[in-house]
Amino acid sequence: MEHKRFELAMSPHVGTQQSTRKIMFDVVIALLPALAAATWFFGPGALLIVALSVATAVLAEYLCLKFMKRPVSFAFDGSAIVTGILLAYNVPPGVPWWLPVLGSAFAIVVGKQAFGGLGHNIVNPALLGRAFLMASFPILMTAGWTAPEEWRNGQDNPWETNGIVQEELLEMPNADAISGATPLNVLKQSFDLDKSAALADEEGNHAEAAELGARASGIRHALSQKSTYLNLLVGRRGGCIGETSVLLLLAGALFLIIRGVLEIRLPLSYLGTVALFAWVFGGSGWFNGDPLFHVLAGGVILGGFFMVSDMVTTPVTPKGRIIFGVGAGLLTMVIRRWGGYPEGCSYSILLMNLITPLIDRFTRPKIFGEVKEND
Amino acid sequence: MSLMKDLTNGIYKENPVFKLALGMCPFLAVTTSVENALGMGAAATFVLIASNFLVSLFRNLIPSKVRIPCYIVIIATFVTLVDMVMHAYLPALHKSLGIFIPLIVVNCIILGRAEGFANRHPVLNSIADGIGMGVGFTMAMVVLATFRELLGNGTWLNMNVLGSAFRNQPLLIAILAPGAFILLSFIMGFFKILETRKGGRQ
Repeated sequence: MEHKRFELAMSPHVGTQQSTRKIMFDVVIALLPALAAATWFFGPGALLIVALSVATAVLAEYLCLKFMKRPVSFAFDGSAIVTGILLAYNVPPGVPWWLPVLGSAFAIVVGKQAFGGLGHNIVNPALLGRAFLMASFPILMTAGWTAPEEWRNGQDNPWETNGIVQEELLEMPNADAISGATPLNVLKQSFDLDKSAALADEEGNHAEAAELGARASGIRHALSQKSTYLNLLVGRRGGCIGETSVLLLLAGALFLIIRGVLEIRLPLSYLGTVALFAWVFGGSGWFNGDPLFHVLAGGVILGGFFMVSDMVTTPVTPKGRIIFGVGAGLLTMVIRRWGGYPEGCSYSILLMNLITPLIDRFTRPKIFGEVKEND
Repeated sequence: MSLMKDLTNGIYKENPVFKLALGMCPFLAVTTSVENALGMGAAATFVLIASNFLVSLFRNLIPSKVRIPCYIVIIATFVTLVDMVMHAYLPALHKSLGIFIPLIVVNCIILGRAEGFANRHPVLNSIADGIGMGVGFTMAMVVLATFRELLGNGTWLNMNVLGSAFRNQPLLIAILAPGAFILLSFIMGFFKILETRKGGRQ
């Protein structure tokens, strides 16, 4: 069969300068600076993880298309590369090499091709891959945090040195003990301590409650010492491979906005909701949270500019996009503040992806010239 | 002749799970291990045969207006029997199947066969149908449980198959709820492909 000239594609068929290929490679270019930062802070291992993930994604896409007897040229339109990069950006830098391979293959085969390929997937494949890895390997996915720049000091096995730090943390809440964990992890632990303190207070153990409360605020103090805004902006902190370097991610996003690929409503409503919620509920009381910390510390910059704004799985109407951003922001912060996980970015986007068709249906714009029916 | 057809009908051609998509609730819930699948399959098969037998026997006596309550009473009798016997002789299995044993009462395969087959066929054919459907259900559960136990725990019928290196980091999702749905859809897709290859597109 000859597919060179006439490929069947989804509507619309009106031609523009933009093509899937161009958009996807723009996104790849926008994502690359953050990879440089990840390699600088977490070592060549991070680069290897991204490379493996991308290679697996493209190979899985190719094999799926071959198996389903569809034109294999779709495998090289760049969308698999983006999925591979995003999946790798969403795993801790200390994971074993086979983990991103497995996640990437799952993302493409189950998340994308099983639904019919690009444009038919109902949720973001990379995030589905991450959710799959979180459900399958909860320990590996929440403990492989590499402390930034440690690899150059000869400690090339982050798995040994930075396993789970919670125990040490409870014993000595000083700045050094928290270098490996992500800032949000540490914050979560301080809130957990607050909760135990309140419980002890109710039971009448006032001395224990006071001690737990002091420990919680000690941890928060150490956190503010270690994770300064500068460190968070540059990416000198523990975290998933691609989420840490805020400045370079923003530079990539700016490039996409200039190229007309990124629609600004989604990220703005998402990040705005996160910041507002953090200010109101994020602290230990009301209206004393730190919005900037919540925006910079987790994965919402990566999520907001590169995953909330995914063209396939988010609403197409302007109003719908704002609803999507606000909803995802609320879910993210509810999970962070009261949920079981320290970070809720990926799950919030997945959940909102599922109701995207519904949002689109209820925000359908009025057709011009249509007369409203009287009932 | 037709007895043989009724017997084999449920095993592949009208497999209650893969072809009719019935009985999904216990099917997805208890297939975390092959042992559970076999236990559930045996319990359901017994109830299926016994209820098919009684429903068929009384099919001319039961007034059609109250037939559903009558089926439920018959089925519930046998389910209670299975529940008590299992509790007495297989307490471990009883505990791991839990609520899903009493829930056999509302298993739509059993009610469906009572209404759809035993209601209008002679006793012997109904028993054959019960056996076939029960075996089909059990086989389907063992197939899914094989995948789930192998991937999620590295074992098959509690035998270590994939080695301890795998068992340290198994694909946990396979024995969680999402894994059941994902694997089920792959198996059903596989059967769909088989069907399409054999009979052409319908």
